[in-house]
Amino acid sequence: MILAIAEQHGGQVSSVSWEAIAGAQHLSTAANGLKVRVVVIGSSVGDAAGQLAQAAVEEIVTVDHPALGTYAADGYVLALEAVIAKLAPSYVVLPHTYQTRDFAPALAARVDRPLITDVIAVKGADAGPVFTRLVFQGKMAADVVPEPGAPCFVTFQIGAYRADAAVRGASPAPVVPAIVPMDAAAIRQRPEAPFREAKQAVDLSQAERIVAVGRGLGKQEHLAIAEQLAGLLGAEIGASRPICDLGWLPLERQIGSSGQTVAPKLYIALGISGAIQHAVGIKGAKTIVAINKDADAPIFEVADYGVVGDLFEIVPALATELRK
Amino acid sequence: MLEVWAFRVVFVACVAVFAVQMATRAWLVHAAKGSLSLAKLGARLRRVLLEVVFQSKVIRERPIVGLLHAFVFWGFVAFAGYSAVHFLRALGAVDFTATRWFHVYAVLVVPFAIAVLIAILCLVVRRVVLRPPALGQTVSVESVVIGLFIATLMITFLLDFRLTGGLATRINWWVHSLVILVFLSLIPGSKHLHLLLSPVTILLAAPALGTVPDLDFEKEEVGLEVVKDLERKQVLDAFTCVECGRCQDHCPAHATGKALNPKALILRNEDALLAGARDTRLAEVYEAGVLWQCTTCGACEYQCPVGIEHLPLIIGARRGLVSDGRAPQSLAAVYNNLERRGNIWGFTSDQREKFVAAAGFESFDRTRHEYLLWLGCAGSFDADFQKALRSLSQILRSRGVTFGILAKERCTGDPAKRTGNEYLFQELARQNVEDLKAAGVRRVLTACPHCVKTLGGDYRAFGFDGEVAHAALLVAGLAGNLRTDPGGTVTYHDPCYLSRYAGGTAEPRELLRRAGATLREAARHGRRAFCCGAGGGLLFEEHEAGKRISQERFEQLQATGASTIVTSCPFCTIMLKGAQASSGADTQVVDLMSYLGDRLKAGAEPAASALAPSGEM
Repeated sequence: MILAIAEQHGGQVSSVSWEAIAGAQHLSTAANGLKVRVVVIGSSVGDAAGQLAQAAVEEIVTVDHPALGTYAADGYVLALEAVIAKLAPSYVVLPHTYQTRDFAPALAARVDRPLITDVIAVKGADAGPVFTRLVFQGKMAADVVPEPGAPCFVTFQIGAYRADAAVRGASPAPVVPAIVPMDAAAIRQRPEAPFREAKQAVDLSQAERIVAVGRGLGKQEHLAIAEQLAGLLGAEIGASRPICDLGWLPLERQIGSSGQTVAPKLYIALGISGAIQHAVGIKGAKTIVAINKDADAPIFEVADYGVVGDLFEIVPALATELRK
Repeated sequence: MLEVWAFRVVFVACVAVFAVQMATRAWLVHAAKGSLSLAKLGARLRRVLLEVVFQSKVIRERPIVGLLHAFVFWGFVAFAGYSAVHFLRALGAVDFTATRWFHVYAVLVVPFAIAVLIAILCLVVRRVVLRPPALGQTVSVESVVIGLFIATLMITFLLDFRLTGGLATRINWWVHSLVILVFLSLIPGSKHLHLLLSPVTILLAAPALGTVPDLDFEKEEVGLEVVKDLERKQVLDAFTCVECGRCQDHCPAHATGKALNPKALILRNEDALLAGARDTRLAEVYEAGVLWQCTTCGACEYQCPVGIEHLPLIIGARRGLVSDGRAPQSLAAVYNNLERRGNIWGFTSDQREKFVAAAGFESFDRTRHEYLLWLGCAGSFDADFQKALRSLSQILRSRGVTFGILAKERCTGDPAKRTGNEYLFQELARQNVEDLKAAGVRRVLTACPHCVKTLGGDYRAFGFDGEVAHAALLVAGLAGNLRTDPGGTVTYHDPCYLSRYAGGTAEPRELLRRAGATLREAARHGRRAFCCGAGGGLLFEEHEAGKRISQERFEQLQATGASTIVTSCPFCTIMLKGAQASSGADTQVVDLMSYLGDRLKAGAEPAASALAPSGEM
């Protein structure tokens, strides 16, 4: 049996739980159709269990205890250790979240079983499933086979499986409460209520597409051209330092060493020379398109596509094409 | 006889007051840790001769005031024997005043007395009437009193020749003697302690600017955290400070409206030491945040006429903060990048490899290459600086100079060293030295002055003793094939780590002239240049308090009216280009090597043999 551990916050199942379920279902096919169960723990997890019951799994196991209300590693380890002892799963599957990173190593150590982290793929093989994970900062991939025995802990990298790939059942799965002894005094952490730090009004780090402008824009009123392109692409507007120094755009739109670090799929640099202080902020961009009239501009050294020319001709033409 | 006993009582009282104050300070010096180095004694003695005896630095940096000070100083020296004889007689010990040689001596010091009198009165007028900002916002009563004391001494000395005995002579004598004794009792508690201490501090100051000894982690050294961590020389520095404010006048942080004032750091150390605040945190002794506003440009140390070393203090205190996890946010990412990727910006090494392949650089082979070309972080990852390196390689190849590069480089650790992350610095240094030695490197060439300082200076302690040259200095020796038609007007910005630290001011200018440039100098240039604002980890802090240092420097350079600003440090280029972009000015900023590359004669392309890849890449 495969036990997937779902994550919930305030009764709301997080989407990564569905990724873990999808992973578990995939693992099931690679492991000769092992049954999948999902466990969700916390305080008043009825709602969460109801949501999870849509999944095509054998059953939803709940551990409901007031001491599990706010997340604490000790509480999770105690509860899950008891559940694992009771259900004896072959695999325990988790989403590779911050919370998992916090308690999973302790849990695996407690039961003295292997933990394979940040797995991106599972392959079926005669001897059992083979897990693929990235090593050397993502430069290489390694196939990992766990030692024989049960259970084996596996965490899936976020995005390795799509949440909507989790197979839903025709009828809701049964919800089975698990009664596990919980000693509140054994939980050594006393977490305060979670809070969110004041977020920057603009979070460019999550943007999928960014149109960034630099000094080559010439005048503040030309921002409209860039904004139009951004609108058509569904992109955020970013800028190099001089634009924010001049007050044409607020500081929170600055990209670079003293601004935000971004990792969009598409980064369009308009009139940006590409000084190193800016270039460090776009290291993570997948595709960089640069439009600049100076063929010697350093931005062309980092760009995947470079257009040497007048942005006032090129951008409107691009916009016209996008409208088609 | 009564007069002699009266004098003896006053004398003993004043000497006792002097001695008690001196003892307090001597104890504080003694209680401090750290050893006092006299390595390179010859250089140190030479400096004492020049800077103390001949007052060379005082005069060079502030000619008029310096000369006035020199007159007072030389006057004091001239009067030493005279006053000694005077006191020996007054105490009833021995009387030389009737001897012929004393009469000759007394007449010989007359011109000195006149010079001192004029000089000290000018200095008092400067302090009271002109009130330069360097001397502080309020007029120091003590300094004025002492100034008038000195004037009184000269007047009473001269008056003695005119008086013919009797009561007037006795009163004149007593005034003269009392002024000397009261002055003596005021010395330890005032800036005039520099009279006694400055020759010592000048002798003890490290021969090279910005010398910051490595920490010894085996001895659990972590840097300066509290007042009692101040080292012996730093305690001496606190007492020798003459409060002249030259450091303040030349500090780029102070000039751009930041709270940092090097003079205030030293004076606050003095106050904290005398107050016995031995366990007070240094960061609390100074104004908040000032320790992170220093670019380590070294202008303060370079200016200081009494041998105070500000950089070991500032970097030492930064080390204390870093060891406590209290480095500023802007540096956290830098440290992370250095630890994980070995460069300040966190790029992956494949980007360096891409450039190396495109530029056709060979791997260093000691049997075939004269120089190792050290790329540095900027050379490895900054597309703009890479152009400078391409030009440099073109020049080298055209002159038949062979060079190769290391397959793998880490940052030399300069930003880590200057920001007080000593552990990280030493780790980088050890690994780099290991690679340099394994490759058998004897001569290193780099276009980054910060790399010169670390590779050629700091790395000595880690066992690398190869020659390290900055490209501007090496190329000056072999440049040819440069166009000599007018190359436009150029202002050269001296990078601190090349000019002040390494003395490389003439060669870049010589190169520019040979390339047809018409030079226009900014007011602050050469060894007195104003920093670009990048050093000491401030490259990564673009939201600095007050005006940006880079903006201020860019405006100073722009004011020369030259069409191009040329410099020879990748950090200076980054800072000045940033300022140029933000201000939208037409003035171009370019690295010296890029400038020379554009001024190479057509047909000066590298000889085919020099360009051919070795096949061992």
